[in-house]
Amino acid sequence: MVVRTSAELAVELCGIPLRTPLIPASGTLAKEALGEARDVYGAMLPKTVTPRPRQGNPPPRVAETPAGMINSIGLQNPGIDRFLEDLDAYDLGVPLLVSVAGDTVAEFVALCGRLADDKRVSAIELNLSCPNVEHGGLTFCAGPASVAEVVAACRKTAPDKPLLAKLTNEGVLGNAVAAEEAGADGLTLINTVPALSVDPWARKALPGGLSGPAIKPVALRAVYEVSATVEIPVVGCGGVSTGTDVAEFMLAGATAVQVGTASFVREPAEILEEFAGYLEKAGSPARQLTGGLRGYQGS
Amino acid sequence: MKFYSVPIEHREHIGGYTLFSYRWEGPVEPGQFAMARFGRFPYTLDPLLARPLSFYDQDGEATSLLFEVRGRGTALLDQADKIEVTAPLGRGFDVNGIDGPCALLGGGIGVAPLKILGRRLEALGVPYDTFLGFADAGTAEISRDFPGARVATMDGSAGVRGTVLDAAPPLEEYAAVYACGPNPMLAAVKRAADGFCQLSVEERMGCGNGSCNACVVPVEGRGYVRSCVEGPVFEAATLAW
Repeated sequence: MVVRTSAELAVELCGIPLRTPLIPASGTLAKEALGEARDVYGAMLPKTVTPRPRQGNPPPRVAETPAGMINSIGLQNPGIDRFLEDLDAYDLGVPLLVSVAGDTVAEFVALCGRLADDKRVSAIELNLSCPNVEHGGLTFCAGPASVAEVVAACRKTAPDKPLLAKLTNEGVLGNAVAAEEAGADGLTLINTVPALSVDPWARKALPGGLSGPAIKPVALRAVYEVSATVEIPVVGCGGVSTGTDVAEFMLAGATAVQVGTASFVREPAEILEEFAGYLEKAGSPARQLTGGLRGYQGS
Repeated sequence: MKFYSVPIEHREHIGGYTLFSYRWEGPVEPGQFAMARFGRFPYTLDPLLARPLSFYDQDGEATSLLFEVRGRGTALLDQADKIEVTAPLGRGFDVNGIDGPCALLGGGIGVAPLKILGRRLEALGVPYDTFLGFADAGTAEISRDFPGARVATMDGSAGVRGTVLDAAPPLEEYAAVYACGPNPMLAAVKRAADGFCQLSVEERMGCGNGSCNACVVPVEGRGYVRSCVEGPVFEAATLAW
């Protein structure tokens, strides 16, 4: 399926022109699946990279839940050196965003340092949902002070590269304000929601992050509240599976929207085509949807 | 991931397994799989994900899949008149250059890829023996579809008592060994075979196209690799079991 990209679909994120508002969520699009990404996404976003290679968690790594899935991959990735060697594979002629994660502020800084002058990279997404080993394993999203520290440090290292802070839902408003004040150019909301799968017969648990349509209303609320509070653009993420989902996130305040789990069960091009259909019916180009709600239902 | 809607043309329940077929001429390699779900998104939110099912047979016109109902997703597939599939996926068994006798070993639902593998070997004129292991005589019913196969059951209710390896002669006699089944069985086959040996693994899978990194297996010197794109068939020696 090929959707003709048009002026109606184009948006701008942190000064970066995107020919569609769709971006793959980090960790949900492999090189092997890039064929279906062509002409669909406005930007590319490969899986989160860390300073050194990470083996990831032993299987099982996923469990299914109604309207969603729980994953516990453990940020498996080849490390920044190999990642940069292979980065050209993700060149689909659209801006390239790179998602980074570290165990410490210094690791985030080191990663941003590697990317700061790489002309292939249009922006950096800081995956702040990973544990901060300097703070007892609490995630970088544990509180505004921790978010501010890592964002400010990365800002200093990569002064000219747009920085997006990707946040978890818990404490999102305070963390979003902290990220903005520390110099983030944008926010990605939200990461997966902490969840647990229990196998009652084996009596075994799988803790992980919940994604998929199940978390869409939670993500919408985060986008809605944060975008009403901060000035920087918000990228919506969480359960986006249809064209109207894209519209809902943009109306709630998102400038662009990430698609993750849904790409495992349908073609991303279908989502874009549905969104184009929505725009046609609504008589509005995508860039004018952002924050375009008209009040509360019933009012 | 793009899915295609196909009507189920034939369905049969054999000893606790479901065998169904749809019209598709392939091509498919033995050991490859399909991601299958009972309906199109958004009608299928629970379960959301498709299920990886092994190709059972391909006769040039119809393609069949064999599976075991284990949960909601497979239960819904079992009742569906029409399913959504994306296929063929993964790397199958390598039969190139094999001329000696082969051993095909299947454990439980792991018998699935051996039917189409046997068909391929026959087409190549390569002789083979089939050994199938099951929990009991009930699940062993599918072995009637494997003429000449030697059967083992854990409770001794059909064939010899024990595992599939108890039904087989020493595997060193064979030029190639192909196996599919639960990981402990595959690890035992790996220990028993000292020549060319390929194993088809079964892992919990999310997407089927390499994107989600869920279905990994440990590979010597390489950490975890994805069984959906680098497998599901692996050289036994490469698996770190």
